[in-house]
Amino acid sequence: MIANKYKISVAALVALLGSTVLASAEIKVEFWHSFGGVAGAALDQIIDNFEAENPDITIEAQEIGNYNDIVTKLQAAIPARRAPDAVIMEVTRYGLFADRDVLLDLTDYVEADPLKDDLYNFAREVGVFEGKNYIVPFNSSTPVLYYNKAIFEQAGLGTHTPLKTYDDLLAASKQITEKLGDDGITGIAAPGQFARWGLIMDNDSDLIDSVSGEILLDAPNTIEAYEFMASLVHEHKVASPDGVTKENNGRDAFLAGKVGMMINSTGNYGRSTSALGDDLVVLPMPCNKVCAVPIGGAGIGILSTSEKEVQDAAYKFVSFAASPESNALWFSETGYMPINKYTPEQPLAAAALAEKPGIGVAIGQLDFARGRPRPPVVTWMRASEYDMWQAMALGQRDVSEVLTEFAERTRAEAERLKR
Amino acid sequence: MLRRLTPYLFALPLLSFIAVFTYIPILQSLNLSFREWDFLSPTKPFVGLDNYRLLLDSREFWNALTVTSIFAVISVPLRLLLALFIASRLLRETLVSRLMRGALFLPSVTSTVAIAVVFSWVFSTDYGMMNALLTGLGFSKVAWLQEPQLALGVLIFVNTWKQLGYDIIIYIAGLQAIPGELYDAAAVDGGKRGHVFRRVTVPLVMPTTYFLLMISVIEAFQVFTIVDVMTGGGPAGATDMLVNMLYRVGFTLFDIGLGSALAVLLFIFLIALAIFKARVLGRKVHYEA
Repeated sequence: MIANKYKISVAALVALLGSTVLASAEIKVEFWHSFGGVAGAALDQIIDNFEAENPDITIEAQEIGNYNDIVTKLQAAIPARRAPDAVIMEVTRYGLFADRDVLLDLTDYVEADPLKDDLYNFAREVGVFEGKNYIVPFNSSTPVLYYNKAIFEQAGLGTHTPLKTYDDLLAASKQITEKLGDDGITGIAAPGQFARWGLIMDNDSDLIDSVSGEILLDAPNTIEAYEFMASLVHEHKVASPDGVTKENNGRDAFLAGKVGMMINSTGNYGRSTSALGDDLVVLPMPCNKVCAVPIGGAGIGILSTSEKEVQDAAYKFVSFAASPESNALWFSETGYMPINKYTPEQPLAAAALAEKPGIGVAIGQLDFARGRPRPPVVTWMRASEYDMWQAMALGQRDVSEVLTEFAERTRAEAERLKR
Repeated sequence: MLRRLTPYLFALPLLSFIAVFTYIPILQSLNLSFREWDFLSPTKPFVGLDNYRLLLDSREFWNALTVTSIFAVISVPLRLLLALFIASRLLRETLVSRLMRGALFLPSVTSTVAIAVVFSWVFSTDYGMMNALLTGLGFSKVAWLQEPQLALGVLIFVNTWKQLGYDIIIYIAGLQAIPGELYDAAAVDGGKRGHVFRRVTVPLVMPTTYFLLMISVIEAFQVFTIVDVMTGGGPAGATDMLVNMLYRVGFTLFDIGLGSALAVLLFIFLIALAIFKARVLGRKVHYEA
């Protein structure tokens, strides 16, 4: 009896030690991201698939909030030595983290990975800062033009209404507001920052030149674009000012069927189809002076502070997430653009393209999609731009005066950051 | 020896807690305010008074100080006057008065974020309840959160609504501590209602007023959540308060040195304000009837 108890105890101890050893052999990758709802569920599915293929690696995914929340929490976590191993970083804001060596240089990983030849050019380019690869894109997007077919019909606009230029947008917005304004419906949602950037590019300009780094906030075409966008709110009153002080209000009103058109990220495709169903129509961005769209979204970076084996495991996940199979799942569920050339051939993606009208519009824009600048000053510029936009859109200050002053301040800040 | 140390030993756990979570961070902030740091760089070079100079030269700082001061100057007296008035009406122990106290106190224990989200929809220009009411009555829409002065007014309203219940409860406690004989004596002397309120109630409730004044001024200068959720400091900086600016500078623009300098200035300003209030009002506070 005693001998049996002894044997059982020894077996239990061995089992316990064994499980501890096994547990310690398992590599855990803490991953911070910004996806909830439909996108969060799709990401969980990708993680489950990865863990099934790599049983020795566990991805501990945490939804932190939006891109700003991630940056804020990451800032606090780094000095506290509580930073994750991998993190989603917005494509214009990772430059500062790369510049400060917070992010691991992934160039060697990417060069050794067959994936590099499978990625679209924009997807390769978007992760490169000062010649080195710091992130691999995961959720890439461009802005597109969404409109509500039912509202268009009620306002007497057909599906062939031209929506190519600033004038076209204004004319359609005016007609909707004039015809349906009494029912609380406005023509267009006040453009959010990503949409503003797109409309500026359509006017053959930029905020900061993505190649030379030249600040173009006070360039004539940028001023003209801002004048047009601001006039939608305060002069023509075809866009609600609610969307100026809170960007998501414009989107939410569109989803609620209270706005005729909205320019927003392809990442909104999933929630827009859920809200509007067959009434949703997706069109390419207008081409006012030229056809050009900014690449948005985010990629996954790996922290330089993590241990080597964790970094290796994290890159394995990054590569898996960019594979055609994972990317097809992600694209079909969320509407974010494919980043892998072989994604459209995948059954899931092919089915989505065939069955979900408008989901492929962003792919058609890839020919003229451009990466945006990502030097450290972009973070400052983007954070400060909101106040400038509000002053212009609400008619409180002259557009040209605001942008001239803002450009000077941005140049000074760029100099300060360089020092 | 041990007997002498005993009180200090009893106080030690709490002192350690306060030191770790209050005093050390204050000293750390002071240290960071003389340095340039972005949370990410391994070094924190000493820059002397540069951050303070930059702050005092910046238009944003003076705008935030002005906006916060206006917010405090309007919201604090409004809160205290309303609270004293309502408390004096809810003194009697009736069922209605108890229900009213509970109802008025409810916003104080409700999540500030939830309150701010609900009110930002209530005051939405095109989709809000307030404008639906106005247009229903034949008035035109008002851009509550887009007009600079109105946006600040809305924030003051929401903050007052949120904090009023707490002030009322404190005032009720203060009013209940006033001996009834004083009112009886005033009534015998033929004192009228307003006169009794001015000559008996107001002076005797002064310790409570003084306490609430101290607390509410500090709160007003530290207001953040309502502003962050409802306006984000906009439109175009019209509701940009000091703590909003501090958060933006530190956590959005990565300038921890400048953010710390702002925190230190705010700290000094509040201490100076407390001393001023103690000097001016402290003499008028009597703790004995």
